[in-house]
Amino acid sequence: MSELATLVPPFAIVLVAALLVAILPRLVGHAVGVLSLLAVLAISLLAPHGTYYQTTLFASFDVVLFSVNSFSQAFGFVFAALGSAAVLYSYSSDAPKVTTAFALTYVSSTMGVLFAGDWLTLLFFAELMAVTSTLLVWHYGGEAVRAGFRYALAHGISGSLLLLAVTWHFAETGTFLFAEEGITSITSGIPLYLAILGMGINCGFVGLHVWLPDTYPRPHIAASVFLSVFTTKTSAYVMYRVLPLGDSVTLAVAYMGGIMAVYGAGFALLQHDMRALLTYHIQAQVGYMIAGMGLGLYLGGTTLELGVGGALAHVFNNVLFKALLFMAVGVIIYRTGIDDLYELGGLWREMPLTAVGFGLGALSITAIPGFNGFISKGMILDAADPHYYGSSATEPIYWLLYLGAIGTLLSFIKLGYYAFLHGEWDGPELADAKPGHTVAMLFIGGLCLLFGVQWEWLLDLLPWPLLKEEAYHLHPYSSSHLQSQAILVGISLVAFAVIKKPLSKLGHIPDVDVLVSPLVYYSGKASVYGVTELYAAIDRTAIRFVRGCYWVGSNPTLVAVRLARYLPQSFRPSFGQDEPPADGGTPSRLYLRASIGTTVLLLTVVITLLLILAL
Amino acid sequence: MSDPLVAAKLIPALLIVVPILAATLPLALGLRWERVGWYVTAIALAVEAALAGLLAYAIYGQGRRVVHVLGGKQFGRKDVMINGTPTEDFIVGIELVGDALSGLVVLVVAGVALAVLAYMRRAGPRGNAFYSGYLLLTGGLMGVAVTGDMFNLFVFLEITGLATYALVAADRSTDAAIAALKYLVIGTAGASMYLVGVGYLFVRTGTLNMVDLSRSLAGDPSWIDGALYADPLVAAAFGFVAAGLLTKAAIFPLHTWQPDAYAEAPDSVTVYISALVSTVAAYAFGRVALFVFTPDFFAANPALINGVLALAGASVVAGSALAATQRRIKRMFAYSSVAQFGLVVIAFAVAVHPASGDGAVRFGIYGAVFHLVAHAVIKGGLFATAGAIAAGDGSRRLSSYAGLARRRPFLSGAIAVLGLAIVGVPPTAGFVGKWYIAVAAVESGLWPVVGVVFASTVLTLLYVARILEKVYFDHRPDAVPDHGDASGEPTAGDATGGAVAADGGAPATRRVSLGMAAFVATAVVIAAVLGFGGAEIASALDPVVDAVQESAPAIEGVKTDAIWEVANNE
Repeated sequence: MSELATLVPPFAIVLVAALLVAILPRLVGHAVGVLSLLAVLAISLLAPHGTYYQTTLFASFDVVLFSVNSFSQAFGFVFAALGSAAVLYSYSSDAPKVTTAFALTYVSSTMGVLFAGDWLTLLFFAELMAVTSTLLVWHYGGEAVRAGFRYALAHGISGSLLLLAVTWHFAETGTFLFAEEGITSITSGIPLYLAILGMGINCGFVGLHVWLPDTYPRPHIAASVFLSVFTTKTSAYVMYRVLPLGDSVTLAVAYMGGIMAVYGAGFALLQHDMRALLTYHIQAQVGYMIAGMGLGLYLGGTTLELGVGGALAHVFNNVLFKALLFMAVGVIIYRTGIDDLYELGGLWREMPLTAVGFGLGALSITAIPGFNGFISKGMILDAADPHYYGSSATEPIYWLLYLGAIGTLLSFIKLGYYAFLHGEWDGPELADAKPGHTVAMLFIGGLCLLFGVQWEWLLDLLPWPLLKEEAYHLHPYSSSHLQSQAILVGISLVAFAVIKKPLSKLGHIPDVDVLVSPLVYYSGKASVYGVTELYAAIDRTAIRFVRGCYWVGSNPTLVAVRLARYLPQSFRPSFGQDEPPADGGTPSRLYLRASIGTTVLLLTVVITLLLILAL
Repeated sequence: MSDPLVAAKLIPALLIVVPILAATLPLALGLRWERVGWYVTAIALAVEAALAGLLAYAIYGQGRRVVHVLGGKQFGRKDVMINGTPTEDFIVGIELVGDALSGLVVLVVAGVALAVLAYMRRAGPRGNAFYSGYLLLTGGLMGVAVTGDMFNLFVFLEITGLATYALVAADRSTDAAIAALKYLVIGTAGASMYLVGVGYLFVRTGTLNMVDLSRSLAGDPSWIDGALYADPLVAAAFGFVAAGLLTKAAIFPLHTWQPDAYAEAPDSVTVYISALVSTVAAYAFGRVALFVFTPDFFAANPALINGVLALAGASVVAGSALAATQRRIKRMFAYSSVAQFGLVVIAFAVAVHPASGDGAVRFGIYGAVFHLVAHAVIKGGLFATAGAIAAGDGSRRLSSYAGLARRRPFLSGAIAVLGLAIVGVPPTAGFVGKWYIAVAAVESGLWPVVGVVFASTVLTLLYVARILEKVYFDHRPDAVPDHGDASGEPTAGDATGGAVAADGGAPATRRVSLGMAAFVATAVVIAAVLGFGGAEIASALDPVVDAVQESAPAIEGVKTDAIWEVANNE
């Protein structure tokens, strides 16, 4: 059985499914898609740990196209589980076959990244992810096309940065292979910064995140479900591979994570568009992951286990609940056609199943006890808390994350309140989620609940074996944890009651995109002009040089005469004519021939020279 | 003679003896039959080519070093005592050596000699005395290629020189006579310098054999007290030897005889001497630098080899610049040779330069020899094409090449391919040699040399582009071959043109012959495809590289060689 599981690499299975989805009838195709991802799920659980296919590309690079390790097992499992639900959701959302096909190629390239055993393979599939996800956005048409173009630009840049880093890494170390399982940081120095910057774009570092809210709310609702999960979470995983142990850069990245949590949650709170709100939460949640792995790797010791463990657990959980939220919101949009939160209301009576799905997701993301978000977020906060496993250096991160947690609670209270509770639905009669929607949402929501209650199972799946040891005391449901969470919720409820009124009066709050977008546009334009003009300048210079050479070649005598003017009078050769005419006329001749006597003199000079040199 | 080994060891001697003996035949038989010269020469050179082929097979096919000791069994390397001192295998007599380096040169000489003979069947000059000179020249070139003795090298250089002087003046024009005289005086002066250098070496070491000389300079024999590399007499000897050989190879500023000689000589003679005479001189320089003085000598005297590099670099730049300013095609090609031999000498100098590591030595030798061979083919081809064009319509000037592509598409194409080959456009033969030379220069880290080598491509393009532009893009309708010089300066080209015009319809009798066309075509094909054989030729040269890198042309190797044993036991 386990041999069977390693027969075909997961990305190949999903890729074939993607092709079949595009060709086969809609129902059969989507069924094939679901089955392919369930197969990958099985491979993730069953493939023997340590299996890998190593091969040599172009007779010079050792690459591991398919490597089963504890990381790929955990993330392969959760991505495959989510993917199968998303395909089902996609079927129910009337997504065109081609949309699902593109989505599956996107999932396929993600699988390639997860099961990669070396940087080259990882990079290849990461670039492929950028391409396939752009196609997924573009396929929707309309506004998504321009947004997709900006999206492609952002990921083109991030991919190029990672490519530079990986190339440099290869030049330094002579290998693409990951050093070993676990922390396999890329060569420190500039390659490290390039890789962090590249993955920072993908993870939505503040200032580099404009592509996120720009793109994700625009395509098909099913496409949003896929997009919300794969790129950012995979990048968080790659970021973990990149970050070095105990380096101050790692701490800086952890701080960035804290800032992302506050920034993302804050801007989420200001959004009207439901998918935009959720998208800002992607930034916030990735901020938690980055902060967790950053401070864990920076502090080391037990914090390493808790921080990185928490971060990876949060990646795992976030894949589930963030997709679930996009599904629930997607169903609302599917049924009502409305994106704006303030135009909705009282939907829980109309769409109770959707409300349940949303509730499961919201309770998870806001870290309510009993749901998986509570476990992983608690681990990260504990790792940052100077009273537990953090240090004074991480205290600001702790408070940033705390603030981010309040912001998260506030924005989901807002989303739930205005969509489901506030007022009455006065529009036409609404149907609830379709069976496919419901199954997908309940499957994912069930997993959220399962890993919240049976949190040991979550830890068992995670590639952080030390967490499971008895010596380690992880008590998520200790009274102090519950108490602090209750305080958080309390603060948030009170705060929401206070800010509800002013918040609803707020119009659009500009994000950094008002700066970044023109900056990118004009610098891009400038670089295009610059490159064109530079090329033109080089071209002109080259042409001038060739012309000059040609002129010299056509008028050698004239050149010689002109050059001879710079010689002292006594050395100046005599010319047949004074000044030969340039182009057109017959150039005069030069008499440069040495006589026999001169030559013998020259021979003597050369011998003298060589004899002097021989001294 | 039934023993193949005995036959093989005779080849180096036969290569010299056959043409020199045959040189008497045209004159002798000419008394009885008037037009016997060409046929005698053809037979002699065919035999020569066969011998060269056999030698090449022995060297490259069987991996031998073919050594012949002149004078019979009382000569050679003997294990005897003289005045109570062992001779340590030092030689008595003169050695002729066919090794991986000389084998290629022998092949080129034999091949070109035969091909040019085909070319001159119609192109002339004729006369039994001319053919005698031609055979004598071939014998001299073979001698330079295979001799293993410094004084013997001088003798063969002089045979080569004297025969060349005669051939240059073969068409009896005034300018050719002056050019020949200039060549005679300068060539003899250069050869004298060489002889002075050899004299110094003999005074210091008591031997003239190349292998023994290098052993003596290294201080191997018991009667020499330590290495002689720092000895002023030895350093001076190199100065004289180098100056002499560089004169013969026409390196700037000692090249002044060469453009006159090439330009004024009959076309067929130009083809022959441009392909071979300077080539064997450059080869002799390389052999002396690599195997007589050896890299160890230059490590002790880096200034000397830097001086040679400077001369060679100047030769590349000045030769190309002078070529670009010429208006007569043959002079242009002649100056081009000055530049190309500059490159070859650069390559040899890099190969022995103390800054060079193993890689630079290897690529320097590859580059020098490959470019030597490639240049012989390409330059011979270019002169042959120029001669064929002149024979066809009398065009000898760049200006009269305007629109040539319409009048002579085949010969124009040949000019284009060979011109691009001399520039070094891949994948032509010119590219590979230049590439190896560039790699050697880069590996040695001699950056000024790298600059010169790379610049040489652009500089070469300067004059080749001029020709190609004229030939292909100048469509002046009134472009007609000029048979007279507008400014009234008398030249050999004009004299020939004038003679053609004076003959009244003579161009018809001097049309491009089959032999000329075949020669040009062969040169073009070889120039185009030789580049693909770069790896094979390079690996054929590996024994040379190994010998230089082990810093020993290996008397031990000679002793264990079966052929040498045969020579001893006879």
